[in-house]
Amino acid sequence: MILPVIKIRLLQLMRLAGGLGLMRVVFLAAMGAFLLFALFAGTTVSPGDFYVSAGYLFVILVIHVNRKDKKFLKLCSRQPGLIFFVEYLLLLLPLLLCLIRHQHYVTILGTMALLPVIIHVEYRPKVKSLNSAIQRLIPSSCFEWKSGVRTALFFMACVWIVGLATSFFAGSVPVALFLLGITPLGFYEKGEPVHMILALEMDAGRFILHKIKLQLALFSCMALPLMAAFIAFHTSLWYIPVIEYIVLISSHIFIVLTKYTFYQPNQKSGGAQVFGVFGALAMLIPVFIPLIWMLSIRFYLKSVKNLNFYLHDYN
Amino acid sequence: MITIDHLVVSYEKDHKVIDNLDVVLPGNAVHGIVGMNGSGKTTLLNAVYGLKSADAGLILYCDRKLTKKDISFLVTENYFYTNITGREYLALFKGPHFETEKWNLLFQLPLDTVIDHYSTGMKKKLAFMGVLKQYKPVMILDEPFNGLDIETCRIIRQILLKLKDQDKTIIITSHIIETLTNLCDLIHYLEMGKILFTKNKSEFAEFEKAIFASIENKNENIINELTNNI
Repeated sequence: MILPVIKIRLLQLMRLAGGLGLMRVVFLAAMGAFLLFALFAGTTVSPGDFYVSAGYLFVILVIHVNRKDKKFLKLCSRQPGLIFFVEYLLLLLPLLLCLIRHQHYVTILGTMALLPVIIHVEYRPKVKSLNSAIQRLIPSSCFEWKSGVRTALFFMACVWIVGLATSFFAGSVPVALFLLGITPLGFYEKGEPVHMILALEMDAGRFILHKIKLQLALFSCMALPLMAAFIAFHTSLWYIPVIEYIVLISSHIFIVLTKYTFYQPNQKSGGAQVFGVFGALAMLIPVFIPLIWMLSIRFYLKSVKNLNFYLHDYN
Repeated sequence: MITIDHLVVSYEKDHKVIDNLDVVLPGNAVHGIVGMNGSGKTTLLNAVYGLKSADAGLILYCDRKLTKKDISFLVTENYFYTNITGREYLALFKGPHFETEKWNLLFQLPLDTVIDHYSTGMKKKLAFMGVLKQYKPVMILDEPFNGLDIETCRIIRQILLKLKDQDKTIIITSHIIETLTNLCDLIHYLEMGKILFTKNKSEFAEFEKAIFASIENKNENIINELTNNI
């Protein structure tokens, strides 16, 4: 059973790459090489190897918790744990090779010891049916936010309140802005059914600008009070939240455009997920910001073309 | 009136799912589209709505091009965005005179619950309410009775008959032929991407008999052989 599953995974990757096109695959390969280099550099000395390994294992834990095929594999295979183990071992391979190269044998042992623990995690995130006044304030056409806020409201509210209450500390608001800025990226993962984009009865260009406008307006409602509080306490450092705000909204615009560039009704697009990572990376590594500005222009044109198939009757 | 003229739709080169199809669908009527699995029903509806590009042919509504502005479409498998409530879903659609609460007296949906917790039938009812809210002149309903209980099927039938009287053109598909003969004014039989024939109400009984007889005769020998050898 293990070999067929691994074979299916490879086929899925190949089909995903095929769907992306040669240019994007080359671009992604370059980015992958950059990340591998960062991994290699990050694991050179202690305690960097420990932090990188912990982060890597956390990503694998998130993948394990969110994967949808666990029940299927348990029904089809007598050893689903072994399948998970082999899959995650393959994912860990770049990290393990870096750790071997740098002779961090204790970290390797720790990582390998935690892997069987991860595959036995049975936690299933629950869908909460939360109806609050906040959802009613969000415009109907911004269903991504209605949906996202329903699951992340508690987190967002806590971060916002703590950020505001402790804004007299210089580091507090930038961290709160970052956490609030990264949360909406997950709202745009899934393609809505076609009748939901048709419901607005707008042409493709207006539709995309409407979506961007809503995203910026809703995020600004959260961000501007925090920025104002920061500037009130640290006037000379006014440029820090302003620059951070520009970086965050650049990533948000990029994410909205990525979603509709690869939009297919009812589906999570592999292309959107892969390129969405750059939107998230841009928040952490400023090198990516000019890149996502350039890609945003390209993706705007491509998303208009993509949506035009569905919305051309409203031109 | 919808006029479909020499419509050709294909997914692959040299494989026409809809092959030079001609049909006229008069307004103020309920039209049933019947055909076996793979005959092209859903492809035809997708092409009429504009979700599938036609390779050739024309689709006209009252002598002008039919557009999405004229149509509301209920698809077979209803997919909903996760983590939004029924009420939020309905709020997406334009329909200034639509009274959600009154309509919901008929369908009894928990509109303030997220749709992820709805049953298959409840999702179908919600999608149908969305179609009703849009109140477009043409309604396309692909398998609207799938997964619904008898009461809701009857309610939908009553609603559709009332809407027909309000000058709507309704196109409906169903695998359950009785639901169509009870509701439609005309039934169009689709086979190999073409409308083979159209029957009106007075011919439905004969049509139903002929269809069932044809299916049974076609498979009788093999069924006999298989059941005798069990």
